[in-house]
Amino acid sequence: MTRGGRRLCVLFVAALVAAGCTTGSDSGGSGGTYADGASTLNILAGSELKDMVPILDDARAATGVKVNLTYVGSLDGAERIAEGTTADAGWFGSDRYIGLAGASTKVLAREKIALSPVVLGVRADVAKQLGWSSGKASWKDIVAAAGSGKLPFAMTNPTVSNSGFSALVSVASALAGGDALSASTIDADGLKQFLSGQQLTAGSSGFLVDAFVAAQDRLAAMVNYESVLVSLNDSGRLKQPLVLVYPTEGIVTADYPLMLLNADKRDAYTKLTQYLARADVQAKLQQLTARRAVTAGVKPDPRLSSSLLVEASFPANIEVTRLLLDQYQTNLRRPANTVYVLDTSGSMGAPGRLDALQTAMKGLAGADNSLSGVFTRFSPRENVTVVSFSSDVNDVKHWKITSTDPNSPELLDLRGYIDGLTAAGNTAMYSALDRGYDEALAAAGADPTAVTSIVLMTDGENNSGLSSSDFVDRMKNRPTTEQDIRIFTIRFGEADPGALQQIADITGGKVFDGRSGSLGAVFKEIRGYQ
Amino acid sequence: MRRTLTLGLAGLLLLLVIGVVVVSNRSSGGGKVVVVRGVIGSEKKPFFDDPRVKAAFRKAGFDVQVDTAGSRQIATSVDLSKYDFAFPAGTPQAQKIKSDHKAKTVYVPFSTPMAIASFEPIVKILATAGVAKDEGGWYSFDMAKFLALVAADTRWSDLAGSADYPSNKQVLITSTDVTTSNSAGMYASIASYVLNGNNVVASSAQAQAVAPVVAPLFGRQGYTEQSSEAPFDDYLSIGAGKTPIVMIYESQFVARAVAKDGSIVPGMVLMYPTPTIVSKHSLVPLTDNGDKVGQLLMTDPTLQNLAVQFGFRTADPAAFAKVVKDAGIATAPSLIDVVEPPTNDNLEALIDAISESMKSTSVNTSTSVNSTTVNT
Repeated sequence: MTRGGRRLCVLFVAALVAAGCTTGSDSGGSGGTYADGASTLNILAGSELKDMVPILDDARAATGVKVNLTYVGSLDGAERIAEGTTADAGWFGSDRYIGLAGASTKVLAREKIALSPVVLGVRADVAKQLGWSSGKASWKDIVAAAGSGKLPFAMTNPTVSNSGFSALVSVASALAGGDALSASTIDADGLKQFLSGQQLTAGSSGFLVDAFVAAQDRLAAMVNYESVLVSLNDSGRLKQPLVLVYPTEGIVTADYPLMLLNADKRDAYTKLTQYLARADVQAKLQQLTARRAVTAGVKPDPRLSSSLLVEASFPANIEVTRLLLDQYQTNLRRPANTVYVLDTSGSMGAPGRLDALQTAMKGLAGADNSLSGVFTRFSPRENVTVVSFSSDVNDVKHWKITSTDPNSPELLDLRGYIDGLTAAGNTAMYSALDRGYDEALAAAGADPTAVTSIVLMTDGENNSGLSSSDFVDRMKNRPTTEQDIRIFTIRFGEADPGALQQIADITGGKVFDGRSGSLGAVFKEIRGYQ
Repeated sequence: MRRTLTLGLAGLLLLLVIGVVVVSNRSSGGGKVVVVRGVIGSEKKPFFDDPRVKAAFRKAGFDVQVDTAGSRQIATSVDLSKYDFAFPAGTPQAQKIKSDHKAKTVYVPFSTPMAIASFEPIVKILATAGVAKDEGGWYSFDMAKFLALVAADTRWSDLAGSADYPSNKQVLITSTDVTTSNSAGMYASIASYVLNGNNVVASSAQAQAVAPVVAPLFGRQGYTEQSSEAPFDDYLSIGAGKTPIVMIYESQFVARAVAKDGSIVPGMVLMYPTPTIVSKHSLVPLTDNGDKVGQLLMTDPTLQNLAVQFGFRTADPAAFAKVVKDAGIATAPSLIDVVEPPTNDNLEALIDAISESMKSTSVNTSTSVNSTTVNT
């Protein structure tokens, strides 16, 4: 801490009689130190708020309040807040998930920091074909285009990510005649038509952008925050700019509430929010992030549409929102083929490892009844394949999920199978993955409308069967598929990070780290990409 | 754990020492500064946070610290034992607190009428529809005609001249959550007065009778916010797309205009519902020190003047008139069509009945959806 900062901290205690510099120690290890406790805010934040770091550095210089951002998804963050996190504040695109997780009472104060509506960015050539070059189209037009195959688009999974969630609510309201959605007005057929165009999904809006850039020749549009789409257009990463379409029936605007959770940090919170609300700071924020200023009177950014943006009504109660998300997962979204390639080599016998894997898989198979557990559970219209391996492929098993009931025969059977896994032998990772790919190809062939993906979990280096180069060669000779089959890899134990990265990169997938924190959380996170 | 505890004790001692220093520093005027705690409606937070207000209290020997809560919560669920005064936004809640806590009096240092903030193009559409009427810069808003529009499920696109506001959404006033917020309670009171044959709802039976018609004013909005600041913030920052017409306290609008912070721009218009209700900000003293704060707010010329700066009307109408004139906005000079809110018991009955009516609508719909779920 700088000398100035320390002095500020002391002054603050003197002035405020707050618990001050000695708090932040209730977390049993993590969190603030005694030295800088009162003027440090540990914040659980959405990953898209990374772009606020320069503003937060300014804030520290101006106010002495230091911010530590820990990036988590909206749903994950909300659940942590519900469980009683040690973080001092939360900061996400919206507080809707906080309400869903039943954590509203944990929020002691709430200030909106910036605004960004969730809209549709349409590739310029497609916008022209569809007559949307002016940026005007209705959700009903968009639903029709998506349903007819003219608008393959990218959108995050609404059960875990706010941008997808906001779009789903907007479309559902538009299809319900423009009024606040109620349980009886959810138009399942219309929503299915819309979601048939969701050719790329992801658990976070950041990954979605990268995956969209990689697939920009095939995808026609992306649902995302206006700020993200404007920044992407400015980035030089696109062959054709995206035309921002603001659907006329109504859109949902993210308002980025900064939410105080720790009463002892109220003073630091107030200093920070007052700083962020300053007109000059808001102008800089708008310039830097392409989010709209929340403080009235800040000159509008010419990059952002100045036309009237009708805001969709949000469902009155949480039950309706919950129902919509449940429906998305079980009935409305595209069906899924999900292949798990699971390491049961001898090293998995090390304390806790096989247990962790079994708990994670059984969680998805109905044993986890938390909100995120229910949202990430294997769903009806999903085919689950497990390829278990050690010195070779040991077993290939299939389950066709037909019900949301956690005690359905297939989920009971799946959990029983996972319970029976034992650890022994070497690690034939590439042979197993190759077999997993065969299974994925077959499933994708059987249902080309489905989202097909592979998850590889391993705790060691390949020492049996196919080599890395064998696998890569075989992948090169695979037939191209209508839709990408992505491989998501989970690093566990002594797995080779370079190999896992290479595998993910070949297919446009992503590496997840299962070493710190719970393996179950990683398995759940990946569900957002499936 | 032990380490935390030890540090906690050390911290406490440190705080005691600092506390002494603070008090001795502050008592330059000779007397001690006494900390007085109050729980207030969120709409008065900017007033109590203002350095000039704090200075005026300090001059009189008080450090006034406030927490905010919805006015209805202050009257029902907030633990008032740790406070010196309660300061809800309305008389009904204040009367309940007074009788529950056997307070000897209620101070009403300032008040503000319910108003509706909107934008010129929208007001023009409403004027054509006969709902809004130009009274010389400010507008009256015919509540009976508006209720008729809502009853007919009117959309903006149904109204003449709606090309200037091309939205298919229902014509509704944006408000807060009727179950928690005083401003929404006042909105419900105004609507219920009109629906009750231009009479204040005076019994539970009358409340039950009007509730089914009042409930859609809130239920059709979808999600509503808890605090009065939130929808007005949306009005200022997001604008007509989200909040074409929004129920506010007049003071919220005036305070922003007086502050000249750039938030009130040309084209923003104030309307006054006919009838309207004046929200009488009512301080209920719970201790002697709370009583002194109440007296100060009533009598201290600096505090009275600052209240006007924050958009409130005080006993001095000329002061208010001057402030709005200097701020360059049009407000109703005097309010003629003013009615009283129901008594606290009847207001509670009304809100409960509205809440029940909203619930029964949603129960019906969720029943039908459960069957949809099964079918699909």
